[in-house]
Amino acid sequence: MNKNQIFRNTHAKLLAFDLLSLTQTPNFSSSDPISFSRKGVSLSRAEIVGVVTSCEHKANRFLKFAIDDGTGCVSCVLWLNHHSSPYFSRRNPVDVRLIAAMANQWASEIKIGVVARVRGKITAYRGEVQITVSDVVLERDPNVEMLNWLDCVRLARNCYDVVAAFK
Amino acid sequence: MANPSIQSGVLVTLEDLHPSSSFLRQGASLRVTGKLQEYTVETAIAIICHGNASLKIDTQHLRDLSFRIGSIYQFIGELLIQPDNESILQARVARNVDGIDLNLYQHSIQLLRQFQADHMKNAAT
Repeated sequence: MNKNQIFRNTHAKLLAFDLLSLTQTPNFSSSDPISFSRKGVSLSRAEIVGVVTSCEHKANRFLKFAIDDGTGCVSCVLWLNHHSSPYFSRRNPVDVRLIAAMANQWASEIKIGVVARVRGKITAYRGEVQITVSDVVLERDPNVEMLNWLDCVRLARNCYDVVAAFK
Repeated sequence: MANPSIQSGVLVTLEDLHPSSSFLRQGASLRVTGKLQEYTVETAIAIICHGNASLKIDTQHLRDLSFRIGSIYQFIGELLIQPDNESILQARVARNVDGIDLNLYQHSIQLLRQFQADHMKNAAT
């Protein structure tokens, strides 16, 4: 596999400041209008952990919230328009109902002050990197955030940077 | 959203906020952690401490949080340096973090700062 594409289907565990400084390149040949890279290595999905510091809920449309991990603030968008979006109209209605129920459950749990682990696709809105959410886990252990910082530092030094150096 | 004007709270220990500290700036967004020493319902002012350091927290904008003396809390907010040079954090986010390993927390912050400094240095070269 091309080393540039090695993390294509991986949720890269990144600190917010690292995620927000990804290089954005306009993409004319793919369904994704912008591609993202870190030190020349393509990334398409990310995982971050942090405190929810803002929330904007539009019922049946979306929940936008910010995750602050102490190094930066990342915008996240959780879509809640499963029953009106043409994207989901092509999918099995039973699956769509389950996905919608899950998303609504997460939306009811995300509140200012909770610590959330968020996974999703890296996208951009008005030039700013954001995460289009596919999974949310609320963390209750107060030590989880710092363990995630250490994990992110270890992965950046021993994995992501190493691949970038050998590219 | 996810208001783009909302700043990330820089991770600091209470000991970091000594009088000559670079973190001690008017309006600085900070995240602080410490044991609740005092809480006054009438003024909504809390005092947290860790080691020999303490900080006043204005909690008037917080909702759905009960304060228990002796518990450990984490606050994110903006620093207000008053005319008498006393600092108070105007908290916008708070959570109870009883059970946190504060020793590991302090070490992790140091490692994180080193990593960020290395990252910025490499990005600049």
